[in-house]
Amino acid sequence: MGHHHVSSSAMFFNVLVALLILTGITVGTSRIDFGAANMMIAMAIASVKASLVMAFFMHLKWDTAINKIIFLSSFLFLSLLFIFTFADHATRRMDTQWHVTKAPVDKQWVHPSQLVGK
Amino acid sequence: MTTNVPAVDVHGAAAEARPKNFINWSSGFMSWAGTLDHKRIGLMYLVGVSIAFLCGGLFALLVRLHLWEPNGALFSNAQYNQIFTLHGAFMVFIFVIPAIPGSLGNIILPLMLGAKDVALPRLNLLSFYLWLTGAVLATLAIVLGGFDTGWTFYTPYSLYTNQAVVTIGLAVFVLGFSSIFTGLNFIVTTHKLRAPGMTWFRMPLFVWALYATSLLQVLATPVLGITVLLVAFERLYHIGIFDPRLGGDPVLFEHFFWFYSHPAVYIMVLPAFGIISELVSVHSRKPLFGYKLIAFSSLAIAIISFLVWGHHMFTSGQSTYAMFAFSFLTFFVAIPTAIKEFSWVATVWKGSIALNSPMLYTLAFLVIFAIGGLTGVILGALNVDIHLHDTYFVVAHFHYVMMGSIALAFFAGVHHWWPKMFGVIYNETLAKIACGIIFIGFNTTFIPQFIMGSRGMPRRYATYVPEYAPFHQASTIGVIILAVGIALMVYYLVASLFQRKKAMENQWGGVTLEWLAPTPPPLENFNEPPVVTNEVYDYSTLDLQTMRTPVK
Amino acid sequence: MSHDGHHSVVIPAPGPEFQAHTVAHHFDTPVQEFQSAKLGFWLFLATEILLFGGLFAAYFYFHEVYPETFRLGGQQLSWKLGALNTSVLLLSSWTMAMGVRCAQTSQKSKLLMYCGLTVLGAAIFMVIKFIEYKAKNDHGLVVFSELFSPYNEATGQLAWFKDYHNAMVDKAGVPLPHGHLFFAIYLTMTAIHGLHVVIGAGLILWVMKGAAKGRFHAGYYLPVDLVGLYWHLVDLIWIFLFPLLYLVP
Ligand SMILES: [Cu+2]
Repeated sequence: MGHHHVSSSAMFFNVLVALLILTGITVGTSRIDFGAANMMIAMAIASVKASLVMAFFMHLKWDTAINKIIFLSSFLFLSLLFIFTFADHATRRMDTQWHVTKAPVDKQWVHPSQLVGK
Repeated sequence: MTTNVPAVDVHGAAAEARPKNFINWSSGFMSWAGTLDHKRIGLMYLVGVSIAFLCGGLFALLVRLHLWEPNGALFSNAQYNQIFTLHGAFMVFIFVIPAIPGSLGNIILPLMLGAKDVALPRLNLLSFYLWLTGAVLATLAIVLGGFDTGWTFYTPYSLYTNQAVVTIGLAVFVLGFSSIFTGLNFIVTTHKLRAPGMTWFRMPLFVWALYATSLLQVLATPVLGITVLLVAFERLYHIGIFDPRLGGDPVLFEHFFWFYSHPAVYIMVLPAFGIISELVSVHSRKPLFGYKLIAFSSLAIAIISFLVWGHHMFTSGQSTYAMFAFSFLTFFVAIPTAIKEFSWVATVWKGSIALNSPMLYTLAFLVIFAIGGLTGVILGALNVDIHLHDTYFVVAHFHYVMMGSIALAFFAGVHHWWPKMFGVIYNETLAKIACGIIFIGFNTTFIPQFIMGSRGMPRRYATYVPEYAPFHQASTIGVIILAVGIALMVYYLVASLFQRKKAMENQWGGVTLEWLAPTPPPLENFNEPPVVTNEVYDYSTLDLQTMRTPVK
Repeated sequence: MSHDGHHSVVIPAPGPEFQAHTVAHHFDTPVQEFQSAKLGFWLFLATEILLFGGLFAAYFYFHEVYPETFRLGGQQLSWKLGALNTSVLLLSSWTMAMGVRCAQTSQKSKLLMYCGLTVLGAAIFMVIKFIEYKAKNDHGLVVFSELFSPYNEATGQLAWFKDYHNAMVDKAGVPLPHGHLFFAIYLTMTAIHGLHVVIGAGLILWVMKGAAKGRFHAGYYLPVDLVGLYWHLVDLIWIFLFPLLYLVP
């Protein structure tokens, strides 16, 4: 099975060192307040670390195209869950304001049970 | 008809001379319980999902009989809640989702690809046992006090109700992984086990449909898994994320739930589309109109289905802006779906139509699915849905899709591949009669539900105002007719196994690879590994005397 | 495993201390078998991402709704133990990667050594996790003995969230809204992750059993590769859990 890529020990070691350094950076940056960017920075560093693990430790860099597509598409579809759920949450408050001022009130409305016999 | 067949006597010694097939290859309980053969696993699924369907159908019958009278004819309100929940949960999770992929998919997909088995046979068996465990757990939940949440387990009610929600949640989790493993297996099989010459665009459309289904199973089901797990944890140790008393948000549950359960509708219906694509072509003896369009529309449906789940939440307190987006996106589902419907009709047009019973079921599907699909477009419109939400209109719509379309396509597929699976043919006259009864019974059941739904009859209520009584009674009469049709179908199908009227090797003149394998297929499917040289659905080389394509 | 006389494909052992591998009957070539299993496993890993994804969605959602609760909740966790555990997992991921490499190069004893180190890493991780849970228990933030006690409807109090030291209060001493939510999510995420660590360690032990028999070598190392992928996934998820839970941004 000569088609398989065997990575060098040195490369694995370098990746490990990079991951440990990035862990240090994660802790370091968490001590500084960047305001709203805190989350972005923390997630960006975590994503870099995750990419290193995926590409080198998990060999994805040398894997087949379909395996890459499948694994990465799981993040893509997960992002759909995130995007729509947060889009709903983010716009809900705007919504109530609009609702309170504009929603028409149907004064004629009666509960269906009251319709019996009419 | 049997004169030129050497040995049909199953009792005599001559039976020994018959070539071994996957059914009589070996016998004994363990040869089935421990089998790795995709056809045997598929057959076990077929028996299992059929039993689940009959259970779910029985619950449906009870629901409808109860609704004969405005105040309820049979049960207390609490019992009624449990029974309609059982109907929904059994039909959705134990029957419809695994039905076509688990049974027909398992048996036919490797044959169609020219493979010896699915890629991961042990995982396939595990998938079946997970299904069985889920079914047993769900039944156990009935014994442990039942569950009355509806099949959707909406919070916060599902957190407060004093019933066996954790057990049924566990059942759904296990069933979910059964479904995931089936999908995973089919994707790998389709990628890696195609026969030489079987290019992607020579794959039958049933395979394409199952491939798209499998993508959904793999990508959507895990979210359902974690959702039911979280509901179980909520009940066990009160996480609070779905519980408004503890600062949680029930709408978040609905997002999670429908992120899976809208695509789940396509997990259910795409395999049905696949069956119909096969059958319209074979029984019209005509290549499919728009083959590539149908193939791609399956993938398009799979992807779009991830963008529309909020249309189930139009009255749930979701933000209006999200509702705009979800409603708008919902209409896009209609495009690939309509492409399919038009392509099927165009295939039948000027075809050499043989009105065999599978074709009758297929034609019934085409009519019913047109109604089911179009009412879906109506419900996708935001303003209309506010009125129709949670009424019988919705119930009728999704029964037109789930029962009328998917179950009918399942029946069509079972009839179509029955001779291939068992080597016997059922009573064709009874089959045609049953199909007619089912079609009439189905429409009698659900057309009244459209009408009363549009007039405001809410779903899931144990009682109703007397004005709705004629519609409910018509619907109940319909379901009785439907039950008669299904009973007849079960009868002649089972009877055919005992009558042993031998089927032809290629009963309908199909040209996909499964018809090239011996009937019923032996353990590793093909006597010679097939090599594909023809384009798909090429009937030009089919010999109408022998119903064989030249052996390559 | 041939059924009817078909010849099975066999990958020969590279040396006397190794075993030959017979390709399953329904595959034509070793490459087909390898790639099928790999593809299947990547699909499985994708489902794991989506499964954890639901938990992450819940985290982000409530981080958005109750930012102060989450910020203060994060401060109750020891970032030092969290960082230590992160390093342990990263190291064990490295030993696992090295283990796969040794399988690829038919180095039997080194494969066993690296797998053993990985299991050791898993054990250290779980011990540190236990120390952490114990601290939360002692502070009344997650009282494990009361975990499954019912919710008190009248007082609105959760039995497992007692907050003995009034950690989850604002500057005026008023309890923050739904302080338990952070710890509930913390517990759920780390417990499910911890379960994966235990399963992963079990799988590595199973690989070691096969490796000791010489089943894995340059010709056939598929199970080592797949278990390795699983272990890296456990690491991958922790990489996100660490900043989100211990350093709440
Ligand atoms: Cu939907």
